[in-house]
Amino acid sequence: MTVNKMRVATCLAVLVMLSGVRCADAAVLDEGAERYRPYMIEGIGSALAGARALRERAAAGDLAGAKKAWVSARAGWERSEVFTTGFVPELDAQIDAWPNADSGFHAIEAKLFGAGQTDVDKDAAALVEHLNDLHVKLKDMQLTPQGLLDGTARLAYEVGESKADGGESRISGTSLDDMRNNIAGIDFAYHTIFSAALNTADGKLDEMVTTRIELLEAIVAAPDLPHVDIARLRQTSEELVVTLQTASAKLGLQRPTLEAQVR
Amino acid sequence: MTSPWLRLAALASGLLVVASLGRALAFPVDGNQTVLPTKTELNEDALDKPREVFQSERAGAKSYMVNLGDLAFNSPAILGDVARQAGVSCGTCHVNGAGNAKFFMPKMSTRPGNFDVTGPLFNPKANNLVLDPVRIPSLRGARYLAPYGSDGRSASLRDFIRNVIVNEFAGPEPSSAIIDAIVAYVQDIDFLPNPSLGPGGRLVGKVSESERRGEALFSKPFPHDPALSCAGCHVPSAAFIDHQQHDVGSGGLFKTPTLRNADFNAPYFHDGRFDSFDQVVDHFDRAFDLGLSAQDKHDLVAYLTAIGDGVQPYERDGAGATLKEINDFNTVLATAIPSGDKAVVALAVDTIGQELRELTERYPDRKNTSVSGGEQQRVLARNSLKELVLMLRRVDIAVAEGRTADAATEFRNYRYLMAAAVPALLAGAEPWSLFNQNVHDQHYAALRQVMQSKHLSH
Repeated sequence: MTVNKMRVATCLAVLVMLSGVRCADAAVLDEGAERYRPYMIEGIGSALAGARALRERAAAGDLAGAKKAWVSARAGWERSEVFTTGFVPELDAQIDAWPNADSGFHAIEAKLFGAGQTDVDKDAAALVEHLNDLHVKLKDMQLTPQGLLDGTARLAYEVGESKADGGESRISGTSLDDMRNNIAGIDFAYHTIFSAALNTADGKLDEMVTTRIELLEAIVAAPDLPHVDIARLRQTSEELVVTLQTASAKLGLQRPTLEAQVR
Repeated sequence: MTSPWLRLAALASGLLVVASLGRALAFPVDGNQTVLPTKTELNEDALDKPREVFQSERAGAKSYMVNLGDLAFNSPAILGDVARQAGVSCGTCHVNGAGNAKFFMPKMSTRPGNFDVTGPLFNPKANNLVLDPVRIPSLRGARYLAPYGSDGRSASLRDFIRNVIVNEFAGPEPSSAIIDAIVAYVQDIDFLPNPSLGPGGRLVGKVSESERRGEALFSKPFPHDPALSCAGCHVPSAAFIDHQQHDVGSGGLFKTPTLRNADFNAPYFHDGRFDSFDQVVDHFDRAFDLGLSAQDKHDLVAYLTAIGDGVQPYERDGAGATLKEINDFNTVLATAIPSGDKAVVALAVDTIGQELRELTERYPDRKNTSVSGGEQQRVLARNSLKELVLMLRRVDIAVAEGRTADAATEFRNYRYLMAAAVPALLAGAEPWSLFNQNVHDQHYAALRQVMQSKHLSH
């Protein structure tokens, strides 16, 4: 730990003591992070199964089947973005590169949904390989509550970004599904890892977080992307991040960073 | 610019810039899940933006009302549901108070630079069932240009603006303060200065022979109707107009458009049917049987180009320009927060926050593999802008809850970050941002590649 970081940590500790805030027990958060692990494994496992099915269907020239498998793989991936951006940023860039369509989900999306072609073998094989590598690592990956809070806050902010141009998955028309899966991932991460601890420290704040997650879920329950109330979505996403920032001190964690740091 | 040749060369190079932007950097809306029709072109990615000149800045600083009006003008929130959902504001068409020659919306435009304000998309109740788009006009010098509307139907700028918001774009009835503020803003947008124009709209300084001949032809009575001349309607003056409507053979009565800064206001005529002064002169030659020679036409075009010029019509887009605009908008908050004006604070937070989010996306994140290098700088730039967005949101929450003092404290911190750290962080990341031409081109080439995959197959 650098001198500066020690200073920051000391300041935070003093602030917490002075304000009389009741901090969550670190062990409780660690247990929460461990409870999150099976969800994470299941999400990436689902993405991997979808990618394998996609490779098979595409190889068989089954465009409709390959598209369906792509959507399934994508759902598992988007549910897992709470941890992918922060814990495996390099893989994230390979699997979910945007707007470059040279590799990953969007390269395959352009072929299947854009050009209507199934010659995606190379990209599908690479996707399976990357997801498999990640799936193998997950059981031993060190999961820190701080990293997961960072990921939750970052994703909550990202959900509020405008999709007026059609969004990231505009070729397949599934940007709204991405958002719904992102919010499902936020919901699960928050309620599995942080909610109980925050409720003990500050029940009102826990309720505020929950209310905003529920509001986001209600907003993206719209029938299609053009009917998502974009202004309300953005406002709610920002209110959620602000609330999570406030909650971090009560949880004995640092304020979440909004961008994954370069390694 | 003093030399006519230089002037023509500058105009030609300006047109070349715009034309090349159109080819290389077009980024239409796409997909089947968008509010705007597929292939809508808003030209938001252009790196050269029209320069905006304010009358009040010459005498000092812009007023609260002008800044509030500028903010509202650039806010989708004052318009109806469709515009809000699509992120369309008055400023989408009137970029920096000028026009938008590349704007094109399928079903609402017949060519780039025009738009059907009585079309089906934004307010179905205003739909006249006819595709009759009008040119998107520049608002420079609007205070001289009454009556308003291409047909001059409205004597009052205030009434005209209200009609655009409420009827054409189905927005909620705006408060008087908001309409007054937009009027103040529009009336403050000045013509770009043209050093070649002297008192009474006469050409001064170094004037070419062709321009002089054009000036004389401009005032010469038409051969078959000596009561008419070009200058009879485009009265050489501060704005080259007569505040009247005329039928010039284009399908009805339309008001005389200004010729000031017209070099940058193509397309021309009420519906934007003409791309160039040459086409305009040809039209008048035909419609009024003027019998112009090739030399006459050349001279008239030279004259129109001379009086339509303006100093530095475009400026390079960059973080500095956006931060300057945001700082102007911040002055609105500086007034609205202490007075606890919830509506204005909410409008400002929404508008500035969206501008900051858009600025953030000019610094590509890690997943954008079309950009390499400067990862740390980009992370710092993005992070600082996101922090600003969240600080504004805290201001909004505090004001909404009546905690004005908390909001003021948060706003002080926001302005401190905005002044002390953010400009340097953005400057540090600029080489890897979309403000860099090469990075910009790579990014949009990647986007085009994705979208072309779709259109190639259908």
